[in-house]
Amino acid sequence: MRVAIADDAVLLREGISRLLGDAGLDVVATFGDADALLAGLETTPVDVCVLDIKMPPTFTDEGLRAAVAIRAQWPQVGVLVLSQYVELGLAIRLLAEGAEGLGYLLKDRVADVEEFVDAVRRVSEGGSALDPTVVSQLLSRRQTDDELGRLTPREQVVLESMAQGLSNPAIAHRLHVSVRAVEKHVTNIFDKLDLPVASDSDRRVLAVLRYLRG
Amino acid sequence: MDRRRAVLALLVAVAAGLGSLALTLTSSHAEPRGPVQSGGPVMGLVIGWSFAGAGVVASVLRPSNRFGLLLYATGLAWFLSALMAAERPTLFTLGLLTAPWWLGVFVHALLAFPGGRLEGRWRRLLVAVLYVDVTVVQVLRLLFTRSGDLPGCGDCPDNVLLLSDQPDVAATILVVQQAVIGSLVIGGTLVLLTRQWLDASVPQRRVLSPVLLTGAMCLVVQAVALAAEPFSVRQSVDWLGALAFAAVPVAFLLGLLRQRLDRSAVGQLVVDLGASRDGFGLDDLLRKALRDPSLQVAFWRGETGEFVDAAGRPVALPVPDGQQAVTLVERDGRRIAALVHDESLADDPALVSGAVAAAGLALENERLHAAVRAQLEDLRASRRRLVEAGDRERRRLERNLHDGAQQRLLAVSMLLSQLERAPGGDATTRELAAQAQAELGRSLSELRDLAVGLHPAALTDYGLAVALHGLAARAPVRVELVVEMPRRPPLQVEVAAYYVISEALANVVKHAAATRASVRVCDDGSILQVDVVDDGVGGVHAQGGSGLQGLRDRLAALDGRLVVTSPPGKGTTVRAMIPCA
Repeated sequence: MRVAIADDAVLLREGISRLLGDAGLDVVATFGDADALLAGLETTPVDVCVLDIKMPPTFTDEGLRAAVAIRAQWPQVGVLVLSQYVELGLAIRLLAEGAEGLGYLLKDRVADVEEFVDAVRRVSEGGSALDPTVVSQLLSRRQTDDELGRLTPREQVVLESMAQGLSNPAIAHRLHVSVRAVEKHVTNIFDKLDLPVASDSDRRVLAVLRYLRG
Repeated sequence: MDRRRAVLALLVAVAAGLGSLALTLTSSHAEPRGPVQSGGPVMGLVIGWSFAGAGVVASVLRPSNRFGLLLYATGLAWFLSALMAAERPTLFTLGLLTAPWWLGVFVHALLAFPGGRLEGRWRRLLVAVLYVDVTVVQVLRLLFTRSGDLPGCGDCPDNVLLLSDQPDVAATILVVQQAVIGSLVIGGTLVLLTRQWLDASVPQRRVLSPVLLTGAMCLVVQAVALAAEPFSVRQSVDWLGALAFAAVPVAFLLGLLRQRLDRSAVGQLVVDLGASRDGFGLDDLLRKALRDPSLQVAFWRGETGEFVDAAGRPVALPVPDGQQAVTLVERDGRRIAALVHDESLADDPALVSGAVAAAGLALENERLHAAVRAQLEDLRASRRRLVEAGDRERRRLERNLHDGAQQRLLAVSMLLSQLERAPGGDATTRELAAQAQAELGRSLSELRDLAVGLHPAALTDYGLAVALHGLAARAPVRVELVVEMPRRPPLQVEVAAYYVISEALANVVKHAAATRASVRVCDDGSILQVDVVDDGVGGVHAQGGSGLQGLRDRLAALDGRLVVTSPPGKGTTVRAMIPCA
């Protein structure tokens, strides 16, 4: 799997690069800013880009705009946006066009190598990755909700994982249960929340997010 | 002009008038009178005296203005031309020589009105040409003209200047002389007067109109008379001209009378000032009294050494440019204000100083008001600077945390995770590395909370709408969020709104025992309105705690307002309104 990394902080850029390399991913290029990344993609085909949301010159949303540009020009390339802080409002903006092949994670998550590498893989394969902080913010908005109250604690955890973009097997792995058991939970959740049934995981993410946003 | 000289000048004019009348009445020969002059001996006397008299009056009222002198000179020149009635050839010739002088001085006076000076190249040139025409050219003409050849002068005394009798040369010179008077001088003067009228301000026109109108009419008549050949037409035109000419000094006296009326307006000003409260509309009253709609009052602010308007905003006085003039107002030797007014008022300093004296106390009062307003404005600006400096410092700290400690700790965290997974490491090392990493994760999380508390970076980076989603989501109660903002307002407005909502939501959690809250932000293009409403117990004191007071200060620095409505048992509404045009 070919990966490109863009981050203006050398320390982090090299760290992420080494970390993904150790995990068996092929880091083909690293860049210091968004323009260099977009120029590099012209000549270097990749499967997924990992990029910092704040980069030169204004350090506001260069990464965000680069993500939109990449998705418009190379729709098959996954984009994983990293940020020093995650904002629900920004997640809503980022995922407005669809969650397919898109990830938005807190930078801290890179230290949890397994989860991070899993997220990179998922995004490169067209799945999605949404930071647990964002998901829990969404859930906390609905915590007094009666509908959510009808879910069992286990079902709530499964819902959270779905919102983060995890597939059924990934959820099963995380919860140490069988895939069949996860599928059963998912069906129950969709029934209780009266959500339209969606088979592929990214549509499922959107359905769940839309529900959680109310 | 002092009283003694004025009396002397009047006596001279009376004597000259009576002398000219006596000469005219006792004369045994006809006179070669020009147009305008043929109104008869009594009319001639009236015209001459009215010019001389008006001139003396003007000189007394405006000693520094030469216009009065020019009027007086016109009157004397007018009488001088009566020497043509004399029997002795030398005196008769002197009369012929000076016969057109009055016209030169008259046009000079007309073009110098009202300041007494010829403003601009064209005016000076025109008057110079005219003076040459009525003096030098007149002498030339007389060198070649026999007195008997002058129109209506068959039995006149001899022209002592006659050099050689050459009627052809004399006729040619006459044509040139009359062409210069007719087209160049009269036409040019009319053009210049029209332009002066068009350029004049309203108060200037009040003074200009009578004199310019009668003067111009007089010149038109003169021009028509020169062109009209048939005698009958000419005679009636001459009468018209004489009337118009006699009206010029009357018109000038009318102008003086108007200014007398203006002086009585100062009396009215005293009455009006007594009726108005706190100097309200002071500048309006002064405009009315001085009849200058463009008048403005600027107040002196001693502590900063600058002029301010009534609202306390600094104003710059205009440089005198011929349109606007400045009169400084002093009271007990201290400067208190300045009047910016039309240049024409500077001609009558007594009127301005009268109005200023009448309005002195009100001006001083208003100056103190303006000074207080200016101090308030200073205070507001300094509060704004304090808030901005505080925000800037918090933002700097937040950025330093982000660029420094957070990045480095994250790098350490990655190294630890590599150490944990390094092949060949023993179990204890892995265990410790995992613990260290977990600890580091918590530190990073706390550091992030600290950074957001210092300054919500999302606010600077993405605006209020994005930042509020997170704020609402983090609140432990259900928050309904409605944001209607067509654009991003200025950052300090966003920051203020953010802190209002943040503080209000914190209070909801701490005190209100509410189950839900709603946040509404609405920007109508001029005011950003924020409403935070909860369904809690209410009963918050309207002044609120220190948190609310801090918000009030922050909003006041932006000219915003904070209103807290909290009836017991009926929830609390915090409303902030921040100008953001």
